[in-house]
Amino acid sequence: MASYFVGVDIGGTFTDCVVIDDQGRVTTAKSSSTPGDFAQGMIDAIAYGAQKLGLTPEALYERISILSHGTTVGTNAIVQKRGAKVGLITTKGHNDVIHIMRGSRGVTGRDVRQVTHFPESQKPIPIVPKRLIRGVSERVDCFGNTVVELNETEARAAIQSLIDEGVEALAICFLWSFLNPAHERRVRDMAREMAPNLYVTCSADLVPKWGEYERTTATVLNAYIGPITAGYLSKLDAKLQSLGYRRPLQITQCGGGTISVQEAMKAPLLTLDSGPVSGVTGSAYLGRAMKTPNIITTDMGGTSFDVGIISGGEPAFSFISNVNQYEYFIPKVDIQAIGAGGGSLVRVDEKTRSLRVGPESAGARPGPVCYSRGGKIPTVTDADVVLGYLDPDNFAGGRIKLDKPAAEAAIGEIAQRLGMTLHECASGIAKIAEFQMADIIRKMTVGKGFDPRDFVLYAFGGAGPLHAGVFSRELGVQKVIVPQRETASTWCAFGAASADVLHILDRVDIMVTPWNPDRVQSNIAQMVKEARERMQQDGIDDKRQLLQLSVDMRHRGQINEVEVSLDGLDLKGDFEAPLRERFYARYEQLYGRGSAFRGARLEMVTFRVRSSAETPRPGLKPSDTLSDALPAAANRGKRRVYWDELKDFADSTIYDGTKFLPGNRITGPAIVDTPDTSVVVRPGQTLSLDAYGNFELLLGE
Amino acid sequence: MTKMNDLQGVIFDGVNQPYVPPKHLRISPKLKLHRDAVTDIDPVTFEVIRHNLWNVNEEHGATIQRISGSPVAMYALDLNPSILTEDAEFVYFGPYMQYMSGVTDTQVKWILENRSDNPGIKPGDMFLANDPWVGAAHQMDVMLICPVFWEGELFCWVTNCLHQYDIGGITPGSFCPSATSAFDEGILIPPVKIIENDEIRRDIEELYLRSSRKPDMVALDFRAQLAGNTAARERILQLIRRYGASVVKGVMRRILDNGEQMFIDKLSRLPEGTWRDRTYIECCRPGDRGTYPVVVTLHKRGNTLIFENEGTAPQQGAMNATYSGWRGSIMVAINQLLCWDQYFAVGGALRHVEFNPTPGTLNCASFPASVSTAPTQAMEISLYPAYNVLSKMMYADPEMRGDVMCIGGTSQWPTTIFRGIDQWGERYGYLLIDPIGGAIGAFSGADGISTGGQSRTPICRLPNIEHTEQSFPLLFLYRKEVTDSGGPGKFRGGLSAESCFIPHNTDRIVQDTLSSGNAVPTSTGMMGGYPGSVNVYRFRRATDILKRLKSSDMIEAIADVKGTDVTLGLRQENFEQNPDDVYSVIWSAAGGFGDPMERAPQSVFDDWQNLAVSVEAARDIYGVAIDARTGALDEAATAKLRAAKREARVKKAGRKVSTLKGELAFLATENLGVRREAGTMHYCCAKCATDLGAVAGNYKENCLREDNTILHAVPLSGDPQRYIDAHPEFRQFFCPGCGTLIENEVALTGEPLLRDLEVTGDALAAVGRAS
Repeated sequence: MASYFVGVDIGGTFTDCVVIDDQGRVTTAKSSSTPGDFAQGMIDAIAYGAQKLGLTPEALYERISILSHGTTVGTNAIVQKRGAKVGLITTKGHNDVIHIMRGSRGVTGRDVRQVTHFPESQKPIPIVPKRLIRGVSERVDCFGNTVVELNETEARAAIQSLIDEGVEALAICFLWSFLNPAHERRVRDMAREMAPNLYVTCSADLVPKWGEYERTTATVLNAYIGPITAGYLSKLDAKLQSLGYRRPLQITQCGGGTISVQEAMKAPLLTLDSGPVSGVTGSAYLGRAMKTPNIITTDMGGTSFDVGIISGGEPAFSFISNVNQYEYFIPKVDIQAIGAGGGSLVRVDEKTRSLRVGPESAGARPGPVCYSRGGKIPTVTDADVVLGYLDPDNFAGGRIKLDKPAAEAAIGEIAQRLGMTLHECASGIAKIAEFQMADIIRKMTVGKGFDPRDFVLYAFGGAGPLHAGVFSRELGVQKVIVPQRETASTWCAFGAASADVLHILDRVDIMVTPWNPDRVQSNIAQMVKEARERMQQDGIDDKRQLLQLSVDMRHRGQINEVEVSLDGLDLKGDFEAPLRERFYARYEQLYGRGSAFRGARLEMVTFRVRSSAETPRPGLKPSDTLSDALPAAANRGKRRVYWDELKDFADSTIYDGTKFLPGNRITGPAIVDTPDTSVVVRPGQTLSLDAYGNFELLLGE
Repeated sequence: MTKMNDLQGVIFDGVNQPYVPPKHLRISPKLKLHRDAVTDIDPVTFEVIRHNLWNVNEEHGATIQRISGSPVAMYALDLNPSILTEDAEFVYFGPYMQYMSGVTDTQVKWILENRSDNPGIKPGDMFLANDPWVGAAHQMDVMLICPVFWEGELFCWVTNCLHQYDIGGITPGSFCPSATSAFDEGILIPPVKIIENDEIRRDIEELYLRSSRKPDMVALDFRAQLAGNTAARERILQLIRRYGASVVKGVMRRILDNGEQMFIDKLSRLPEGTWRDRTYIECCRPGDRGTYPVVVTLHKRGNTLIFENEGTAPQQGAMNATYSGWRGSIMVAINQLLCWDQYFAVGGALRHVEFNPTPGTLNCASFPASVSTAPTQAMEISLYPAYNVLSKMMYADPEMRGDVMCIGGTSQWPTTIFRGIDQWGERYGYLLIDPIGGAIGAFSGADGISTGGQSRTPICRLPNIEHTEQSFPLLFLYRKEVTDSGGPGKFRGGLSAESCFIPHNTDRIVQDTLSSGNAVPTSTGMMGGYPGSVNVYRFRRATDILKRLKSSDMIEAIADVKGTDVTLGLRQENFEQNPDDVYSVIWSAAGGFGDPMERAPQSVFDDWQNLAVSVEAARDIYGVAIDARTGALDEAATAKLRAAKREARVKKAGRKVSTLKGELAFLATENLGVRREAGTMHYCCAKCATDLGAVAGNYKENCLREDNTILHAVPLSGDPQRYIDAHPEFRQFFCPGCGTLIENEVALTGEPLLRDLEVTGDALAAVGRAS
């Protein structure tokens, strides 16, 4: 009997479901999202998927070997500021950690103007106000030694007073708890005893990392989204059980894999940003099938442009993230975003006669001028219409009619003010956005020791394939893949379905050379034991587990840490010399030749175990037959399109991408329409449908 | 003492007197400058190249941070990259330590004048420099300056500056609080060619490193600086190869021209006049009880701004800065308040800014004054009051009013230098970075930002306590925001914080202090706003802290432990802290804006709930009644309290006032209007139009004046006589007609009134037209 891997992604508008069978065949189903009770939309989408497979929902549920789901409940709670009322218990004297915010204003990732023009640079509203923070006498030092015993009388009074204040969740974070969690766990247990229904998070259980600001922020954020996420997931889990699903529900997490629903309820922080991360996971999966281990993933939507990097098959990681200016620890697939999307607003500075694009966005409302929803300021999408990249009558599969004259009028007005022609101006708008995109990719590749020319670029999102031909060319990338067919529009659900079960365990033990091998081994042994226990809880036996060991290291006295693999190193033998060499190699790869300082002592900081279990699913199957002959139905005739390269219009062929057969190849200038977007094939570039059903754009330079 | 422009026969060449570039640089004909610039560049090409140039600078800074990795570079961000045109006008400078770029252009100009002939400026060269009389802020800020050549012509410059751990001098770390002259301080290096033909000159590098106690660290940082310049130079050459040199140069010129045009446009909307501020530095050498005035005067004449420091004390002891430090500091304020919308392209604005200091003063010191502590004292005090004078000038324009910002926290840096044997058995020495957490001053329409950092380093970051405790043998008892520290006002200044620690896992630590602004507040408020808290050192010896830790009874304030208080001097050297001695430091907070009695009662109540303001301050300063027992805001009692306070002031003034009927020309400050009255211009209360005299006079003389001790404004300051002989006082100026607080002034008893603004009549018509 066939078994199925199912991924479900709930978006603001649609809920996407992807079913992969054990032959690697992919079925997708979309249904409307159901705000208020998102679980319903998910069940609808799965039922629709069953219908497409000719099964009853019950029969499908029975045969699902893994159901993976990405949830945005936590993200939405933060965006809409609808999280729980949180109380925080911390080390006495250190109540203000999350208010001081390290004396910065949460500036990471903000536009430089918002950072340096102080009236625009306020701190965010604190997640926990000072009056809901209680300090308790207890103290541990940098060796993990207890300097002050936990004062349980104070702790009890603190818990009680927060209960009396009506908090819905409790966060506990003490200094140095990642070295010695006893006090945190004691307070946690006391709180559970005193208020069994209170949602309680303690930092040592969540992110046992060095640095109290980012650790406390993680803990309070987790508490903030805990009750609402746990409520949603437990209801969903019960409902799926009642429908006949028997395996543990898996939830996608920002580390790129999945965790069990029970763990997600305890650590909902891991679900933040898991949607975009699934896009990277899906890319890595596709990349494995297509044997392209180095991938730049780009997702250009309406408001932002998100970039991820996969190198040697492994997504690049970051260990500090931020949301609403709060910076917090979490091991996460690194995705950087800039405010450059289809909806990015175009502005003119009269005095300096210059043109600016973004970072502000028109969003879905009022949206671009051509959407006719009240938008008056032109956007990148309006430029795309003016240039002829988008077909006003056939946008998004004809679901939205675009008002081209309105877009022309809006951009024409700007062009006139700048003394440019309409099309020069529209082409300039696209170019400015494209160069900004090239810049962020350059920062994430060149800035981190990667050469973009060694990478294939994946372009997804509604607006990405329109512009990938230019920003990829800027970077020297040779090949762009536009994931196609069913997978493109349901990319994140596809990523969810292709995600592995993954646990990432961190353990901080700061150790300077010469290293004590016993301490290293004992750290690793304990972490491995814990990782195996967690996998067993997920029903995965030891044989199927893959363990990757690494350690974050640095020069003593310096700040920059790099993650160095411990795999294949004999930790029982004399590992110091080879580990040093690994560190120097990695450091110089990241920071440039000659940057490592061989005279300095080295420090180990954080040990890490990535424990994963690849879901035993068959790979994607390439098509056996490739065809040279483009079906006649694919050719939709010609349209006048403006090309910056030619500084002129060219009659360009318009194709229906859905009619392409694997092996079909066309050359630019051309536009290939797909149900969700259009691929712009620039003069000199060629596009083909590969054996996997994806469009492959060759830049040919 | 004579102003620079009035001095005859003095050479400002960077030897005994600071280098001041002439209008026309004397450059050797051996050096060919690239002058060709296209003027007609389409807006798209302009934006693409502009964006790229900005990014070159960002990447440049990131490269230095990555390779250096030092806590100085990573937390304090004590570095900054710049791009300058071939003749050393700023194109861009980075968002890191703003002082550093402010001192760049003079150094490049000096190199053009003094190195273009011998040894020559050639492709593949870079110059190392740290001489404060040529242009560094202080000796530790070492600059690496790189010419970028295209086809044999000097196209532009990329430079960076990075604070070094130690480059010599009598004190480890090269901050020398007891130095008597520059000869006690780190090595002085006028620009020398350290990179020649893209190779490090070993002889020069060894000379550079020889004086340092940490030569390895300095060598690594030098490589970081080298990599930064190399990367930036390569990116600019790529731009030239792609777009052409004359196009890239055209973009640079236009960035400057745009910046200039925006600056002139802004000035044209403002009244003519003079704005002035006066603050004080305390303690210029160990044991000193002196107080040294620092005055900044801003004249606006047409489309030109002129800055002077007349009235500032002569150079003395170890508190000084050079001309470039003073000028660079003022540039930070100009850049942030007036050039933020041009991405800080201050080069264009500088074409219309003149600097006319008085040589021999403490912030325009002549060689060989001690200047190693400049950035913590003389430069901070040159910078922050510049925010005040610029803000007051800008206030007249309703749109620019939104950019007004009061003085922020750490307006003098309360330094904690400590050393000893750490918990790992190794020798260490360090400077507590915590005061970088600062506070941001109030705005004209919003509160300042509590512990929002220092405005001169917009992206700085405080280390986590866990990071500091890992590296040094300390146990922090607390680090907390300080209630009532933010300067009261209609909009409150940001709160600062206090760090308190004991030695831990060591026998003792040895400390030095180095501070000012502990007796006289330096974060003065504006337009009725009060000053933020002063710096406070507290030291309690032989306390019961260890016993309390043992019995699980921790403290939240140093006052909670029993022990003997010791008053630390402001430049006290080599005092020991034992494990039961408790040390704490509060860094100064930010100034407030506007009359505190005009603050919305609900905001004061929220501040109380958020521990920003005490019940007492709410009542005494804000006139807001909060019942601490019920935790409720009493609106009726508040209204009564406020009315009574105002009435009492009016009664005290007891004078018959006349009210102006003429047309309001503009608002000079929040509570001070200027009206046309019978052919002359008069100041008046902005609330009730009470006449405050003709603009030719000082409006303060027509206000009700009330003098109090400084404790009245800053209760946290304690007795100023612990540190200084002079008596600081808090002068308040109320409208005699309605009791509104118009302005405050911090001054030493006996000093004349500060004339903080003088608008001159002749340009008012222009302003009238503009509004």
